[in-house]
Amino acid sequence: MLTLVLFMVSAVVQRRRRDAFPVRAIPAYDALPLMVGAAIEADRPTHLSLGSAGLGDSSTLLALASAELFYHVGQRAAIGATGPIMTMSDPTAIPLGYDTLRRAYGVRGRLNRYRASDIRWYPAGVRSLTFAAALTVTMGVDEVGANVLVGSFGPELALVADAAYRRDQTLIAASDQLEGQAIAYALADQPLIGEEIFAAGAYLSTEAGQRAGLVTQDVLRWLLIVTLLGTALLTALGGR
Amino acid sequence: MYGRLTRIPATVIAIGAGLFTLFGLLAGDNLGLFSTLAEIGRIRESTDYLLQLVVISVAVTVVIGILNLLWVHLTRIRYRRAGWGYSIVLVFSTLTVLILTILERASVLNQNPPLTTILLEQVQVSIESALAGLLLFALVYGAARVLRHRVSAWGLLFVLSLVIVLAGALPLGITLLADLRDLWLSVPVSAGARGILMGIALATVVAGVRVLVGQDRSYRE
Repeated sequence: MLTLVLFMVSAVVQRRRRDAFPVRAIPAYDALPLMVGAAIEADRPTHLSLGSAGLGDSSTLLALASAELFYHVGQRAAIGATGPIMTMSDPTAIPLGYDTLRRAYGVRGRLNRYRASDIRWYPAGVRSLTFAAALTVTMGVDEVGANVLVGSFGPELALVADAAYRRDQTLIAASDQLEGQAIAYALADQPLIGEEIFAAGAYLSTEAGQRAGLVTQDVLRWLLIVTLLGTALLTALGGR
Repeated sequence: MYGRLTRIPATVIAIGAGLFTLFGLLAGDNLGLFSTLAEIGRIRESTDYLLQLVVISVAVTVVIGILNLLWVHLTRIRYRRAGWGYSIVLVFSTLTVLILTILERASVLNQNPPLTTILLEQVQVSIESALAGLLLFALVYGAARVLRHRVSAWGLLFVLSLVIVLAGALPLGITLLADLRDLWLSVPVSAGARGILMGIALATVVAGVRVLVGQDRSYRE
């Protein structure tokens, strides 16, 4: 309920004053348009991957957040001669992938360029190394220019990141799994960390609702910090 | 206009079902009026029914997945796109496993252990094991690359953590290294991991609220 109230208030304030809540720079989001632009210039596709994130389980909202990011990337990549490719290992993410790319092409008025075969399912399951192997083949065969791997990945992300490095492809990566996140931090050109995955809409669009979500997240974070510190302090004082 | 007309009922159904399920899942036994309302409206039973529908829909997506897989690779073979040789192998393997599974389920093939199990153990597991071996080299190479390309305080801290954890795991019998590793894992590493997970959890809550109030993009476009 608190989240809902904070979100509504932030949205109203943001609609009245566009610059009410300035945001800090996130290097990955700053680099994203340049990466996609470079891929378009080189006539190479941008590869987007959800990993094992899907709908109907605990990764549902992560899949939706990743789809929001891919929508913005897809929108930029859709103007190129070679369209973006989206991969996933959870079958429930396939309809989400179709919808995301179709809308990205639609908003650019290039729906005739949309190809259903650019959404690719590799049936491998969670943390599967064969999924990583399939991605490395796709990255080579389709001569990918830039990779945005944001979703649910485990240690297998290292194989994909290594393949991207060897083929001189740029990589933005993030995962909700700690192992995948650590590898993304070490091996990606630009990593996204933790909740930054969910901030894509606020950084890549000017919508008030997206920015309001980010502000709500920040306020909740500060409340959590104060609560944790307060509890620790009270416990320390009570223990004396 | 047509898009808008179809979008509104879809949004109403999605948000309605979301709120209804949330209410059904939250309704416990000793929550006074809240529980009574859930009991009268048979909300918990309806929630279970909705969840069963979700499970069935998820099962259907596997069929969509197989069709997607075959469509993508048959298209590649048809137009002789780059890598069509791999696609032939993939389509052949998929169809072989599908046919074998159907024959086993229909009791036409009664081999023990089943052929599909042998294929899984001999092919899939072997390939995954080989790739797991390669993973180690990719990780070590990646750590070395951090030192070459990202010489920042955070990059160095990352590599320092890695060295402490790996050195502490070595069976050298040096207690100091093992103690330092345990301390490092239980305090700064654990705190960082919890911080990341809490951040994701908060963002998930906010994203959930955005979906429930109809702010998600799929409702609007």
